[in-house]
Amino acid sequence: MKRKAKSANKKLAAWLMFLPVVIFSIGFQVIPIVSLIRSSLSGKGGLTLVNYQRAFTPFILDAFKNSLQLSLTTATLGVIFGTLVALAIISSPKKIVQDALISLADVTTNFGGAPLAFAFIVTLGSTGIITLILKAIGIFLYPTFRIYSITGLAIAYLYFQIPLMIMLILPSLLGLKKEWWEAAINLGATSHKFWWHVALPILTPSLLSSFFVLFANAFGAYATAWTLTGPDVNIVTVQIASLIRGEVQLEIELADALAVSSLMIVVLSVVGYLWLARRARRSQA
Amino acid sequence: MRMNAFWRSVVIMAFLAFMIIPLIATFMFSISTRWDRSLLPEGLTLEWWKTVTSRGAFLLTIKNSFYISLATAFALGVLVTPTVYWAYIKLPRGKVIFEVMSAFSFGIPGVILALALIRFYSGVPLPLINTTNILLLACMELSFPFMYRPVANALDSIDVRTLTEASQSLGGNWLQTLTRIILPNIMPGVMSGFLLVFSTVFAEFTLTNLLIGARFKTFPIYLVEFTRFDGRQASALAVISFVMAWAVSLLILWVTRKRAIPTGGGPVAGH
Repeated sequence: MKRKAKSANKKLAAWLMFLPVVIFSIGFQVIPIVSLIRSSLSGKGGLTLVNYQRAFTPFILDAFKNSLQLSLTTATLGVIFGTLVALAIISSPKKIVQDALISLADVTTNFGGAPLAFAFIVTLGSTGIITLILKAIGIFLYPTFRIYSITGLAIAYLYFQIPLMIMLILPSLLGLKKEWWEAAINLGATSHKFWWHVALPILTPSLLSSFFVLFANAFGAYATAWTLTGPDVNIVTVQIASLIRGEVQLEIELADALAVSSLMIVVLSVVGYLWLARRARRSQA
Repeated sequence: MRMNAFWRSVVIMAFLAFMIIPLIATFMFSISTRWDRSLLPEGLTLEWWKTVTSRGAFLLTIKNSFYISLATAFALGVLVTPTVYWAYIKLPRGKVIFEVMSAFSFGIPGVILALALIRFYSGVPLPLINTTNILLLACMELSFPFMYRPVANALDSIDVRTLTEASQSLGGNWLQTLTRIILPNIMPGVMSGFLLVFSTVFAEFTLTNLLIGARFKTFPIYLVEFTRFDGRQASALAVISFVMAWAVSLLILWVTRKRAIPTGGGPVAGH
């Protein structure tokens, strides 16, 4: 009996080592977010949804529509192009080419924010280098296309979405076993049939889970959008930021409601990612 | 199972063009006298580089960025490494705490974290709001998985239990075991975590901008100010941040000296 108590004490003491990390998490993740949710739900008469009702003006609904559209588009295109490039990389016969391209993807995944946005202004802006080259051969990008628009923003986002997809999908592509390919071919399948009936079903959980990562990544992005388009493009993160800086006269509870709404969108996609990633690991184990 | 040679080259060339042209363009722009009406730059010059780097604010913002990045990386290293090791030898179930924290860290966008911290801590009598303390803590939250992942991967790759038991049977306590046995063995992981955190925080704009604004100017803040009023000088600053990011990545490759195949599911920085 005594011994049992002693080992329980020991166990408790062992958990105490996590105290600094747990305090950090509670203090800087849990409490601030919980209090944000609480204040978004509180009004004069206690618990209420009035902040949400008032926050969702047509202008803000438009911001959500734009953010969702931007995230869906860049996540979809990122998944497609990233997977294609990853396939090209692993098909490359030279190991040095593979390593160089993987390193490029690894670095550029974390290129983003202000320098990236500015690089796109220099490249595709109204007097950008590509714009000038295209003009010289008779293709006029402007005024139909503008880099300072939501389409321009999507192009800039793809600059970090594609490499991220490459890094996420490579392990799954490398996990496709040669034996499966050989078995399929020996049984008379064409290459096309192998990809459609064997590889794609195996890869689906990984592709979908990566899609959710890319979606959340784009939905929460702010620095790139702010540098590239300033307040011109109406997306959720830009609106929340301008509320924080006090550029717009509005009760702060409305900012809380916007933040909690977008947090729910991101959290759903992170949960989707975690769930599907677990399934992906199981299906390739 | 392979892509045929023609399509492979097309895909790789298109990818390289998309990834590299903006970088080359930015560099060329930073050394051109004028390049907004002709196909090629009208002349080459180092003037923009000289002007932008000779300002006092340039050195100050670089110094500030180094300070906050190094402080975050050190603080996270000290917070994470011993506790993750502890989880591996004493309480494997405790790993779930780190996984949940990593998911939180990825799942909370920068603008929302900034708002939540301002809203909560402005009512708390601690020296946090509008100081670099809150920025440091927010950056730790943001880059938590960048420290945790490489350390955990490094611990996975060695036989932690056997090493720890061997050390203890020779009379070492757990702190001695950690510093003298485990740490040297997982150093590549700790170092790459340190460098990843460093480069993430060095490029951080959102939290700095929203939490302390102009009171503590970091390099990315300085860069964004320039994009609004002088493109050429801004392009020189953009080149500097790209070079920084490359240099840190090369250092990580050198530290880990492994093939660059990723282990998958890694964290990403805020954009």
